Amino acid sequence: MAYLKKSIWMTIVYCVILITGCAPYLENNEIEEIAPVIFWSLDAAEEGKLEATTVVPPLVQEKKRILTMQVDLLKQSGKGFNLRYYRELKVGQLRVLLINEELAKKGLRPIINTIFTDPDISQRLYLVIVQGDVKDYIKEEIESQENLDYFLYRMLKHYERKRQGQLSIVNLHQFMQKLYSPFSDPILPVFKAENGNFNYEGTAIFQNDKLISVVTDSDDEIYQLIGNDYYLKYLPIPKLSVVLGHVRTNVDVTFNRDFTEMNFKVELKGRIDEYQGEKNLNDLDDLAEITNEINSHLETQTKAFLQKNQEWQTDPLDIGARTLTPFSRPIEKKEWREKWRNLQIKVKYQMDLEPLINIQE
Amino acid sequence: MFWKKEKKQTLQKGQQNLSLGLLKEILANLEDAEIVERQKPEGQCFTFIYIRTLIDQERMNEALFEPVLHCTNESIQDCISTSKAEEIFTLGEAEKQLLAGSVIIFDSLKKQWWSVLLTNNLGRSIETSDTETILYGAKDSFSEQLDTNITLIRRRLPVTELKSEKLKVGSLSETTVVLMYMEGVTNPEFVSIAKEKINKIDFDLFFDSSQIAAFMEDHQNSIFPQFQQTDRPDVCAYSLGIGKLIILVDNTPFVLIGPVTFFHLFQSPEDYINRWPVASFLRLIRYISFILSITLIPLYVALTTHHYQMLPLQILFVLVESRSKLPFTPFWEALLMLIILEIIKEASLRMPTKSSQTLGVIGGIVIGQAAVEAGFASKVLIVLVGVSAIASFLVPNYLVTKANTMIQFVFLLLSSFLGVFGIVLGMIIILAHLNSLTSLRQPYFAPVAPLYWKDWIDLFIRGPLTKMKTRPDHLHPFQKWRYSKRR
Repeated sequence: MAYLKKSIWMTIVYCVILITGCAPYLENNEIEEIAPVIFWSLDAAEEGKLEATTVVPPLVQEKKRILTMQVDLLKQSGKGFNLRYYRELKVGQLRVLLINEELAKKGLRPIINTIFTDPDISQRLYLVIVQGDVKDYIKEEIESQENLDYFLYRMLKHYERKRQGQLSIVNLHQFMQKLYSPFSDPILPVFKAENGNFNYEGTAIFQNDKLISVVTDSDDEIYQLIGNDYYLKYLPIPKLSVVLGHVRTNVDVTFNRDFTEMNFKVELKGRIDEYQGEKNLNDLDDLAEITNEINSHLETQTKAFLQKNQEWQTDPLDIGARTLTPFSRPIEKKEWREKWRNLQIKVKYQMDLEPLINIQE
Repeated sequence: MFWKKEKKQTLQKGQQNLSLGLLKEILANLEDAEIVERQKPEGQCFTFIYIRTLIDQERMNEALFEPVLHCTNESIQDCISTSKAEEIFTLGEAEKQLLAGSVIIFDSLKKQWWSVLLTNNLGRSIETSDTETILYGAKDSFSEQLDTNITLIRRRLPVTELKSEKLKVGSLSETTVVLMYMEGVTNPEFVSIAKEKINKIDFDLFFDSSQIAAFMEDHQNSIFPQFQQTDRPDVCAYSLGIGKLIILVDNTPFVLIGPVTFFHLFQSPEDYINRWPVASFLRLIRYISFILSITLIPLYVALTTHHYQMLPLQILFVLVESRSKLPFTPFWEALLMLIILEIIKEASLRMPTKSSQTLGVIGGIVIGQAAVEAGFASKVLIVLVGVSAIASFLVPNYLVTKANTMIQFVFLLLSSFLGVFGIVLGMIIILAHLNSLTSLRQPYFAPVAPLYWKDWIDLFIRGPLTKMKTRPDHLHPFQKWRYSKRR
């Protein structure tokens, strides 16, 4: 009897602990009765409205439908979609949020706040900035590629997991982390929807929650090398007729005492995967010359990229965080921003390149 | 009252003086009772009284009739060399001896009564264990004969420290129970608790050790067995060696081992035969399968009913696809399939071996396949039911396997109401319950709670034998070290 009483008491105590914080009302989440959406696209519409687009259903065998609504508030769209589809749309599996570039320029805080505070939405949600009309692109593509939404998610997931250094992939958690950090600014990948294509364009740089600029091509590659993945499978430099392969970097940032000067030192290891220039890679002098050219090209590019960020007053590389040391008081946000704007930048590359050669001259 | 009167008579019978008339009265209407009168050539008359079905008749002629009738010695005791003759005086004694398989001899000349034990040794030969089969190692198992069972253990532990005490239980069945333990190793507290519990048993019929266990268990309402039941002498010998005691019951091939912990029920005799890394891996697999067998289907119900968010997208697609046209909710679908599975399991146990194979095929393939095609169950659930059914058989103890099924059904209910919280709640209840259990008043969840770190070497893993230098601390053995030099 005593053990029975003990068991009952323990159960009650654990129930109280468990039930605390849980929603008191259970929702019907039976998977055959709901349509979990994995994709949401947000555009700016007229009169300050939002245009939300999604694709249903998640079933492979059923015909896909695009649902679009113009709403004042984001959550209105969720309610509206439900009334236009026989299953209840649920956002618990929302994995990709496409946000129009124009909308992002106005500031993402209200949208992100709504999504972030929804307990159903996972923080693994990928955020993507889109240039062009996504709705048209989906309409065109959905006929030939039924699982367009799912494939987009898989692509983002692949590049996030494998860290291939090709794209900037950011999820909600990472975005929020950078948004609230005093020493860095968020970034998001930018895709362009145009003529039936959905291509990666570059990286959107934010100042707080507002999109300031989009870095593309070589600037984006430099960003991947020194600030994002520190790895690039291919780094083409057309100006020097060379492609570097499997490039890995190690970045060391030091400041002088009063934070007026920054030494940005990059150790770069890689190999010359392709060369179509005039010089002979078998010749050590020529090779040294090519390396020097690449070195100075990358130094110039990097310095230019960092100076652009100074101009925009953005810090996507978390350079501010490198001012922190264990036993000193951290610099105030405002103070750091001021110092960052006026910082003298010195960039130095230390190259270790191996040429891939299989042909004797 | 008439029953009071009868009770009085029974009491008197135990002390009444023996007479042929009274004995004949007792044996009236006993078809197999025989009363044979034989006369010696010199005129001395002997009456042999016995129950035909209980004694070895062939031996009776050789060992009893011939020596008694042709003996020149004065006392019957001196005539019989192969068996032991005991003089008896009361009717009660005579009745007891008759039913134990003795022949009662009445010497009419000297007016003396003798009993000679000639029990019929009918029974199975020593066979391989069906319930705890192993590939390597000893194949012998216990039979229904108590003496044979004791012999099998004594051969493995040929030391006088192995003590055995005989006790009787059951007012009608008069079942012999033998308590065995290693003196100087087993904690005497266990022995005294076990003896006290056996002596307290007051019931009429005992024909299996499980019934004895039911009376001896500290918590009779629990679904977890508090004694390990085995028909393997090697398991018994090992248990005795590490400081446990065993209880042998007459006419039962299953021996009770105690005190046990929850974790002992996951140990297989093969653990000590395999190489230690392999044995450890297999033991871990057993624990994982136990958890899988109780949570896999409830998890399916919880995730498909409440937490679609927790599923990886790829799996969600498969599940939505699979469940899109089913008429039942995940709970009813799972309940239906589990009940069908239990019916198949029970039916295959009750049927002859050859038929049960057919049943397995019909149950597994035909019903499983047909249920999916008819739209009663999803393919995913059929896979999960199969996996959890197979996983449940990995636990070596049959009683735990049955407990698994019960837990699974309860978890299923909890998960359908509360989702994963329900399963967590169920787990907490199970853990709280396991912590409150005892076996021979020793904690059932030791060596985890209370914690005995040293015993973990043979808990979730089976460590190298050379490292198991001491007997398990949670059994409080009198001799801690297993090395003879360290004692």
